[in-house]
Amino acid sequence: MDALELCYLSAGELSRLIRNQDVSPVEIIDAHLARIGETDTTLNSFITLLPEQAKAAARRAESEIQAGNYRGPLHGIPVGLKDLFNTGGVRTTSGSRIFDTFVPDHDCTVAARFQQAGAILLGKLNMHPFAYGPTGENADYGHMHNPWNPELITGGSSGGSGSATAAGQCTITMGSDTGGSVRIPAALCGIVGLKPTYGLVSRHGLTPLSWSLDHPGPIVRTVEDAALAMNAIAGHDPNDVASSREAIPDYTTALTGDVRGLKIGVPKEFFEASLDPEVAAAVQQAISQLEDLGAIVTEVSFPLFQHAQGISGTILMAEASAYHRDLLAREGDKLYPPVRIRLEAGLFITAIDYLKAQQARSVFNYETRQLLTDVDLLLGPTEPVTAPPILAEKVRAGEQTIGTTAALTQYTRPYNITGGPAISVPCGFSESGMPIGLQLAGKPFDELTVLRAAHAYEQSTNWRTRRPPI
Amino acid sequence: MPGDNPISRDAFLYLAAQAGLDANSPHLDELFPYVQSVLSSIRSLDDIDVGISEPDMAFNPSPEDK
Repeated sequence: MDALELCYLSAGELSRLIRNQDVSPVEIIDAHLARIGETDTTLNSFITLLPEQAKAAARRAESEIQAGNYRGPLHGIPVGLKDLFNTGGVRTTSGSRIFDTFVPDHDCTVAARFQQAGAILLGKLNMHPFAYGPTGENADYGHMHNPWNPELITGGSSGGSGSATAAGQCTITMGSDTGGSVRIPAALCGIVGLKPTYGLVSRHGLTPLSWSLDHPGPIVRTVEDAALAMNAIAGHDPNDVASSREAIPDYTTALTGDVRGLKIGVPKEFFEASLDPEVAAAVQQAISQLEDLGAIVTEVSFPLFQHAQGISGTILMAEASAYHRDLLAREGDKLYPPVRIRLEAGLFITAIDYLKAQQARSVFNYETRQLLTDVDLLLGPTEPVTAPPILAEKVRAGEQTIGTTAALTQYTRPYNITGGPAISVPCGFSESGMPIGLQLAGKPFDELTVLRAAHAYEQSTNWRTRRPPI
Repeated sequence: MPGDNPISRDAFLYLAAQAGLDANSPHLDELFPYVQSVLSSIRSLDDIDVGISEPDMAFNPSPEDK
């Protein structure tokens, strides 16, 4: 098979070929390393590439499979981790030169579970420093570039994960999502990003940004691959104090293609906010498509949506500054200036403001729970705009010009507050050829319904078959 | 605190020093308006009727919500 084709097969497709020994993990890893060699001078997805380690792992996987010891659907699949996931023996920078030589002793739980499943780590992926920003800027290791147009942002903070997955450099990557950092790059790079329920995927061994808002999640090219990744990484971890003991289903059972009777609510406030008309039209088209598939779509009201930025922003800033306070005092002048100023500003948030935000979070969560008793899912755009230029401070969204950070997190923050699952799937392209994302959000621990709707929609369209020009 | 000026320059400098920032650094000239902007935006929380709700501190979504 053509090497480039291997790079664009999903984990599901590759696993079937690997299991039947039609393709070797060695061929797959070689193809991906070649693809990275061809494209990463443009994209800058990787901070640390592990070619020799990956080739050795591929040879071991090949031997195991030939000996009849097939571990499952991720055996031999190339993965990449955002560079805040600790990897034993491999440096983990959190996107900052301050940690350029930091080599953890142990794998984070997610890395260990991928390894147990037989996945092969290709490298550590570029990111907004300390995950504190939604664009994919990084002055230390270079900015990330969107595979659909390298002059535009990938989105962040898991920008390298977005570009690597979209450009066929990795089959599965992992990001962490505090205000949208899995779903934003997924939407802007034209792929799938799942923020699972808080506590479902372990945060152990990840550099925190905000303890109560951080959610690790997969960035992939198909909904099936999100389900396969979740089967490998979800589940209780005694090393994470917030880890859930909820039973873990087989997430691939959600991939039925059937959404008949599923109730989907569309908050009217989503369309009253700053929103590019091209994005609005693509999302309306997706709504029609889901209705054609048998879903029951109704308009709902989500009045507290307008306060998501205030609630989430206050909690995030206070928690991030609390975690990074020592670093700020010690090496603040070495931090990326926009990250430094956010961390410093968080020092001025009072305990009363933080607690007020957590009170407001209780109210916000109550309202969201009420909404989700009437419908199974909430639907809207993932992003109000397509990818803006790198370093753009403001974006035009419909009639308004607003700050880039506020725009990019407008629709994603609500589900970091609630902790419920939310997915971004591609739902179209702008006239300029940039991807548009559709967001579906569900009840806590109801990933099956989120995946079911996303998969049915995905399979009824051909957006996933488009490839970036790089 | 009034929305237009949520923190005075003097109070900012005092709190900056308490937080371990160098009160003589020219960087504070850049930080001051940023902090004012952040604190102004936080005032939007006052528009939410939180009633007697307790802070969502030990945050774990409940499986019963499913």
